[in-house]
Amino acid sequence: MGYFADSFTELFNADGWIDMGMYIGAGSSMPGWFTVIASVMLVAILVKGNNDEQDHYK
Amino acid sequence: MEDQILALTAELAAIKSAAQVTNTMFAEAYYYLTIPLMVIIHAGFLLYEMGQTRVKNVLSSGIKNLLAFAFTIITFYLFGWWFYWALPTFPYDLASGAGYMEISGIAYANAIALPWGDSAQYMGPNMGDHSSGVFWGAFALFAATTASIASGALIERIQTVGFVICAIVLGSFAWVVAAAWAWHADGWLVTEFGFHDFGAAGLVHAVAGFFALGVLVNLGPRVGKFNADGSANRIAGHNLPLTITGLMLIIVGFFGFLMACIILPGEGWSWYADAGTTIYGTPMTLSSLAFNVCLAASGGIIGAWVFTRDPFWMMSGCLAGIISVASGLDVYFGSHVIIISIVAGMLIKPCADWLEGLGIDDAVGAVTVHGTIGLFGVIMLGVFGSGIPALGAFAPEGVASVNLVGQIVGALVMFLLGFVPGYAVSWILNKAGMLRIPDAVQIKGLDVVKVPAQAFPESMKSK
Repeated sequence: MGYFADSFTELFNADGWIDMGMYIGAGSSMPGWFTVIASVMLVAILVKGNNDEQDHYK
Repeated sequence: MEDQILALTAELAAIKSAAQVTNTMFAEAYYYLTIPLMVIIHAGFLLYEMGQTRVKNVLSSGIKNLLAFAFTIITFYLFGWWFYWALPTFPYDLASGAGYMEISGIAYANAIALPWGDSAQYMGPNMGDHSSGVFWGAFALFAATTASIASGALIERIQTVGFVICAIVLGSFAWVVAAAWAWHADGWLVTEFGFHDFGAAGLVHAVAGFFALGVLVNLGPRVGKFNADGSANRIAGHNLPLTITGLMLIIVGFFGFLMACIILPGEGWSWYADAGTTIYGTPMTLSSLAFNVCLAASGGIIGAWVFTRDPFWMMSGCLAGIISVASGLDVYFGSHVIIISIVAGMLIKPCADWLEGLGIDDAVGAVTVHGTIGLFGVIMLGVFGSGIPALGAFAPEGVASVNLVGQIVGALVMFLLGFVPGYAVSWILNKAGMLRIPDAVQIKGLDVVKVPAQAFPESMKSK
């Protein structure tokens, strides 16, 4: 899932920046897996939050 | 001579390139700065909502508001942005290229608006893309605004997680569908009915206001709001100055919200190389906003003052004044704005009293100020603005112009896109026991039950 380039030299020397993702995992399936993990975290947090809230109301 | 021409040509190309870089960076900075301006809207809603809450519930109201902001923005990233690009021609056709502009449909949305796969390059750092992030950011703040609008109406008796789920449905789905149909240049309300709503009176304010109404029907009133004979009691918030200051901050943020509704010229995504436009590609300037927003805010205050001397309703009138002309801020003359906004200000208190008479406990008047006045504004543009082209000069033959029937149809759609999802999701939450806070807890106070902090010194007690 590494970064897309080891050096920016080639990009700086080009006519202009190319239209592509420039983040860790760009061009691989990793962003998608991180999105899945983030989504699961959100759902789990809501479930935990709701359980705690219901306990307060008992 | 030839060498001089070549040198001049090269110099001209360099100047043009530098000018384009400047234009691109200006456009990126312009939209980026609308984002913190719109965060001020949320600072305003936070103060407004907490000020309208009794001392015993202040922090709970604040927590609810903060979580709505946070969850709406993240879910808008995960799927809300995709709905905006996928649904403009739904239910007619979901194929890409189905709309006139060919910038909508499921395949198009899959290509630019999903945080995975190839489209991820437009959902994260990309040195060749100066627009996706700032446009997404502005839209995410529009989404969070809808959630904050609904939030105030529901204070002091809605459960936190239940409300967060409502906020996600509203901010990352309901209003997004409205925006796809009524804001996107491929949207069927625009192309088939000539619907025009530059500043989102319908697709943000009315949708959010009537979403709140749908929730209120299932949620019920606060304990003590209504007597056995049906008469209403006034439940005063603990800090009116906080509420009024919050409302003024919302107005400040509105200037940023409306700035973000303009499409700047000279970029690949612009409608024109040399003229600013609305999102529909129709001509407009920031100057028109300067005239009309200032006048509308003032007209709303004056209109509200006619029927009430209460500063809460006068500042709500300020908000209502802007909402009432938001649909046509790009085309109204100042005197139109003064007339419409004064009438809007006059309408809010009687409308809120009427709603209360029906047994609806809208704690801040959000249904009236955002919902009713939002629809009023949409229809007023049909009254005053019929005949305006719905799209810019690029529009193909057969696209409708702005007309009263189209605005009424749009108003009806906005009402349904707000009320139906609001009613449906709150009905499900109610059945699951996740909607209403038990009456005993409401009486005791929410903060002491579920917040590990105190808002004020113990000397400040709630009645």
